[in-house]
Amino acid sequence: MANRLTERWHDEPWARNEEFWYSGKTTRRRFIGLTAAAAGALGATTFVPAPWREAFGQAKPFKIGVLQPLTGAAAAGGKTALVGTQLAANRINKSGGINGRPVELVIADYESKPDVGRRKAEKLVVEDKVDVGEGGYLSNVCLACMPVFEEHRTVYMIGVCLDTTITTSKCSRYIFRPFDYAPSQAVAFAPHMVNKIGKKWHIVFLDYAWGQTTRDAFVEQIKKNGGEIAGTTGIPLGTADMTAFISKITGTFDALYAIMFGANAVTFTNQAYDLGLLRKVKYAGDGAVAESTHLTALGQKVEGFTGVNRYIPVMTKPLDTPHHRKFFEEAKVLLKQMDPTGPDPDRYVQSNFEAMNFLKLGIQKSGFKGREDSMKLIQALEGMEVKEGDDFPQGDKLLRKEDHQAFLRQFIFDIHNGKHRLLDVVPREKTVVPPACTFPKA
Amino acid sequence: MSTVAPPPMTSMRALDSRATAERPSRAYWAGFVVVVAALAVAPLVLPPFWQRFVTEILIWGLLAMSADILIGYTGMVSFGHSAFFGLGLYGAAAALLWAPGPGWLASVWGVTPKLWAAMAAGLVAAALVAVFVAFFSTRLRDIYFAISTLVFSQIFYVIIFTWTDVTGGENGLTFRQPPFEIPGLLAVRFSGDGIHWFVLAVVVTSYLLLRRVTQSPFGMVLQSIRENEPRTRAIGYHVERYKIVAVMLSGLFAGLAGVLYALQNKFAAPDFVLFLISGETVIFTVMGGMGTLVGPVAGAAFFLLMKEVFSRIFYEYYLIPVGLIFTLMVIFVPQGLLGFARRALNR
Repeated sequence: MANRLTERWHDEPWARNEEFWYSGKTTRRRFIGLTAAAAGALGATTFVPAPWREAFGQAKPFKIGVLQPLTGAAAAGGKTALVGTQLAANRINKSGGINGRPVELVIADYESKPDVGRRKAEKLVVEDKVDVGEGGYLSNVCLACMPVFEEHRTVYMIGVCLDTTITTSKCSRYIFRPFDYAPSQAVAFAPHMVNKIGKKWHIVFLDYAWGQTTRDAFVEQIKKNGGEIAGTTGIPLGTADMTAFISKITGTFDALYAIMFGANAVTFTNQAYDLGLLRKVKYAGDGAVAESTHLTALGQKVEGFTGVNRYIPVMTKPLDTPHHRKFFEEAKVLLKQMDPTGPDPDRYVQSNFEAMNFLKLGIQKSGFKGREDSMKLIQALEGMEVKEGDDFPQGDKLLRKEDHQAFLRQFIFDIHNGKHRLLDVVPREKTVVPPACTFPKA
Repeated sequence: MSTVAPPPMTSMRALDSRATAERPSRAYWAGFVVVVAALAVAPLVLPPFWQRFVTEILIWGLLAMSADILIGYTGMVSFGHSAFFGLGLYGAAAALLWAPGPGWLASVWGVTPKLWAAMAAGLVAAALVAVFVAFFSTRLRDIYFAISTLVFSQIFYVIIFTWTDVTGGENGLTFRQPPFEIPGLLAVRFSGDGIHWFVLAVVVTSYLLLRRVTQSPFGMVLQSIRENEPRTRAIGYHVERYKIVAVMLSGLFAGLAGVLYALQNKFAAPDFVLFLISGETVIFTVMGGMGTLVGPVAGAAFFLLMKEVFSRIFYEYYLIPVGLIFTLMVIFVPQGLLGFARRALNR
């Protein structure tokens, strides 16, 4: 009920697919079905002892509070990320739920603002009484919401937020990040950058926390691998005209590394290409620069870009698995309902999909029944190793006990003929960095 | 060259006595007691989410009340209140994160008064910014004053956004809520009700203080500046000084609102220094009724409640009805929600 009250996009065509939702819009057919089910449930409630109710199909759903920016500056990414969560919830419910209980998503739009995020997180745990939290796109909002989940002793499985401190200096026992972070990406990609692309690098980054921490990680790893840093340039987040910053990128260097995402990445690539910078040097960067959702907007200008990403939508080895194909095709259907151009799934879809499946496994393993069992769920998730399969099409993963940070394989790719082309796979073991977290005492 | 001496104290007393000639009625105080009592029992009867919501309304209401000193009483529209609010927030955050641990202060009082350190740090930070902004902005008038305050708030926003090592940049700062403490006597953790009552006490005290200020001779001069600045200057008041003090006073209470927000929410983010917060503050003040002090609190409550309710009904389109209602109010109720009671509220 709460999700229907909260968000408008349930009425959008992509969300109207009845199979998409555990609970959705009421059609006549569904009304009759629901009425019959309600009568059955009422009978079960009235005449059947509580322990037997589950047997009558009255299993109480697991309420999963999902925080995403569905309006505001990060709306596009938030909606894409939500597709991953919904895809997983859909599959879980189709396969009988978790421990016999279905999953109900209670979705909250935090409008891309940290104060709203905080309030919505509070609403989820206090008013909607969710069992666990999932999602999050903007790191600053994740960081603002983390103390709410901690205070209410609720597990929060992050879906997108990349800021390094989430699992280092600001880590919490209640927070998990089931995907990679900048130090891992740098360790994975720097040898390729220095040995195969160029020795001397200029780094251009979005001048805020994520951009700065990622820059630091890459500067360290490039130097460690024998490369050189010619200079770094910070560009404020949301700068519409980047030409003033791009024209300052001068000197001699072999390649440019861009730490950008979303519309900023599109703007930078377009303008750097138009100013001739990308024709002079090799262009590489975070995988977020060349997400599949950007490729149409970037066209020829991103051709030849080399990047590192935890997920790329290609069907070549080792990603030509039935699990990946199934994930890709199902996600593509949902994405097309959201965006008629039918973009390929990206890492935001993948990480939210897998975040939900980590929760599923943790709940199954721990016998978690509700928020009072949060510590059991945490213990089940800590150190959990998962294998590549339907639930984890990206590959094997380890959710490290010491900092709740996941380690996974990384894909090095380039853009060839307007599409991702896999160049190399860095195994999970080669992405590991030492933990830097001390959990605060409960 | 002749100089105009400020009016003698006797004439200021005359202004004062004129102001206080009409004492507030019993109805006013009865209404005041009822509203405060209702706010005090709110956490006991409301569900937890709405309880927190009411506490937030009080905090935003205090911010709007502080803006009313400038907008409603002095006739200066400020778009810089986000800077005062934000600096209060970050000042408190700094004290909570980096104030000395249970060291020398503990040896003196037995506890480390982090709560009061946070309040002091927030107020000092806001006051310093207010001095800076006041010194430069009050040399300008009308739209130029408004623009200069906007520019200053954006300068502080950029500094906070990019100075990641200290401010946490876009991620902001998160910290623990300090306990409520009276040095040497007690230190207890805030409950949900406790923080509400603490915020209520601070907001009510602030209201009474600001009310006293606006009714003092100083407040009368501010209102005189609002009504006719050249004439106020002509009769001998140093208008710039009064304006500077007004901006500082307003900034100080805006900073106090920032401190309360930090204590309630335990995080600080650069978004709170962005001009959008200043814009919302002006809306609260206009909606509630300028020059009434309590009107802006009512305006904050009305606006925030409207946003919350409409966002549940109209989802991402909620700002359309909010904007329509605001436009209709400006046309048909230009005095704001409590503007009709302005005279009674200022007695």
